[in-house]
Amino acid sequence: MSYTTRQVGAANTLDFKVYIEKDGKPISPFHDIPLYADESKQILNMIVEVPRWTNAKLEISKELNLNPIIQDTKKGKLRFVRNCFPHHGYIHNYGAFPQTWEDPNVAHPETRANGDNDPLDVCEIGEQVAYPGQVKQVKVLGVMALLDEGETDWKVIVIDVNDPLASKLHDIEDVEKHLPGLLRATNEWFRIYKIPDGKPENQFAFSGECKNKKYAEEVIEECATAWNKLIAGDVDPKGIDLTNTTLTSTPAFATTVDVPAASPLPAAPIDKSIDKWFFISGSA
Amino acid sequence: MILSFVPRNGSAPLLRWKRALSSIQSGSIYTSQFKSYLKLDNGEIGSFFHDAPLNLDRSNRTATMICEIPRWSSGKFEISTQLLGNPIVQDSKKGKLRFIDNIYPHKGYPHNYGAFPQTWEDPTEASEITPGLKLKGDNDPLDVIDIGNRLCEIGEIKQVKILGSLALIDDGELDWKIIAIDVRDERADQLLDIGDVESKMPRLLEDLRVWFKNYKLPTGKPVNEFAFDGAYKDAAFTMNVIEECAKKWKSLVNGEVKGDKLPSISNATVAGSPGLLQNFEDVQLEPVGSEGAIPKQTEIIYYY
Repeated sequence: MSYTTRQVGAANTLDFKVYIEKDGKPISPFHDIPLYADESKQILNMIVEVPRWTNAKLEISKELNLNPIIQDTKKGKLRFVRNCFPHHGYIHNYGAFPQTWEDPNVAHPETRANGDNDPLDVCEIGEQVAYPGQVKQVKVLGVMALLDEGETDWKVIVIDVNDPLASKLHDIEDVEKHLPGLLRATNEWFRIYKIPDGKPENQFAFSGECKNKKYAEEVIEECATAWNKLIAGDVDPKGIDLTNTTLTSTPAFATTVDVPAASPLPAAPIDKSIDKWFFISGSA
Repeated sequence: MILSFVPRNGSAPLLRWKRALSSIQSGSIYTSQFKSYLKLDNGEIGSFFHDAPLNLDRSNRTATMICEIPRWSSGKFEISTQLLGNPIVQDSKKGKLRFIDNIYPHKGYPHNYGAFPQTWEDPTEASEITPGLKLKGDNDPLDVIDIGNRLCEIGEIKQVKILGSLALIDDGELDWKIIAIDVRDERADQLLDIGDVESKMPRLLEDLRVWFKNYKLPTGKPVNEFAFDGAYKDAAFTMNVIEECAKKWKSLVNGEVKGDKLPSISNATVAGSPGLLQNFEDVQLEPVGSEGAIPKQTEIIYYY
C-alpha cells in the first residue's frame, strides 16, 4: 500500500487541504481506504488528522468531495484546541478509522446516546509524532465512551504496529502497565478540553472506565456496519459526501474526480495567544 | 542609551536609564557551533553572566532574567560559565548535543527556563541560607523558571516577578530553582507569592516538583533530591537566596574567590573587576546557516 498526501495551501489557513492519494490517484480517506490492513492479523488502517502536541483542529471533511483533511472553523475562524495544563495541544496522535461511521440515527444500547455522525475517532499512543494525512497500521487496545454534548463519541485507543512497545501491548491492562498514567490523563483531557471555550465538562459513559480490546472490536464492527449502509445508500447520508474512486458497486463511485493540484505552502504562523496554558481547577 | 520615563505602580513616573540589551547569534542552532552572546546597548558583545544587570527590586520583587530554553522545547541550552564572554550554548556530552527527554505528560521543558545574571551559586563555601544542610552551590548562575504563557526565545532578556523557589540537590550540590513570572503576563498582577501560584494555577507546583525529581531518570541517573523535604519557599525567603547569590557573584567577579574550575569572569562593564576587558575582540562570530536536525529520539515519552 502506498498512500501519499497532496497538500493544497498553507497549514493554519482557511485554504489548507490535505488530500490522500493512492499510487498518485486521489481517493477518499473516509471511504476508499480499507478499515482492515490485514484482518487476519487484526491490523487496522488509521488516518491521522492531528499530530500529537499540536493545536490545530484538523479533521476529515464530511462535506467536501473526496473528504480532504481541513482545519475546522467556527464562525469563519480557524479552530485551535486550547492547552489544558499540563498538556500541550492534543495529547496523542489523533485521527479516525476509514470506512466507519457513528450513525446519528441509532442510540447505542449501553450509552443510550446516538452517534455523532463522524467516522470513529482514534487515539494512537505510539512514540512517533505523526503528520496530517498519514495512514498508519495500528492494533486496537481499548475504547473510551465520551458523551460529547449528548452524543456518543467513542475514542478507540490504538498503537502503531511498528512502535517498539507494540509487541508488549495486547489489551487495555497492558497500557496501564507499560504507560502508567496515560489512560487517566486521556480521560481527564477529554473531559476538560472544551472548558476554555466556555463549554461544560464532557462526560464519559461507564464511569470513565476504558473498555477492553474485545469491547472496542465490537464498537468498530458496529461502526463498520453503519458505514456499509451509508455507502450503499441505504440511509440518510446526513450531508456526507460519499464520492469514492474505488468502490465500483456503490452509487457514489466515480472514475475520476476533479480535485485541486498540489500547491503546498509553508505553514502560516499561529497566533501567540494559542500558547496560553489554561488551569482547570479540580481536573485531577 | 535611551532616557525614558518608566511609570511604577501607577504613581509618579520614575526617571530611569533604559538599557537596550539584546542578543546576537553566532553559528546555526542545533549545531555545536551555536552561540548566543549578550549584545550591549553600544552594539558590543558582553557577558550574559556578568554584564546583564540583575536589577533586583526588593519592593516589587522583580529582577532581570536571561532566557535559555523556551517552554515545550528539548534542546539543553545554557549560559556557558567557562567560555569567554559566557554565551548561551547547547550543552553536549561525549561530543553529542544534549536534548532533554520527555517525562509524561510533558513535552520538553515544562516552562520557560533561564537564569538570573550577576548571581552565582558558590561551590567553594556552604550556603548560609541552608545552614543545617552544609550544601555548596553548583557553580552556575541561579536558575529561573518563568511560568508565564508566552514562549520565550533563547537569549531573550525579560523582567520577571519573583514568587518562590524550590531547593534542588543535584549530585550533592545546591541548585535553587527560582519560580517567577514574566511581569507582562496576564496573571502577573494576581500572583504575589507562592501560595497564589497554588490557588491560581492549580497543580503547577506539584507537577513541576515531580518533573524535577524524575527528569534525569531516562539517562540512567537516580531521582533528584530536594532540601526542605521538597517544600516550596515563599517569595520573601527567595529574595534572601537571590541576594546571597548576588553577593557571591560580586566576590567572584571581583576576583576574591579562589578555587578550581571557577567561571570565566571576563566582562565588558564591571568597574573594578580584574576580569574587565576593553572589549571581547577575541570573540569571533560565525555565520548563521540552516538549523541542525533535532533527533527523532526527542519524540519518545518516558512514563514513571
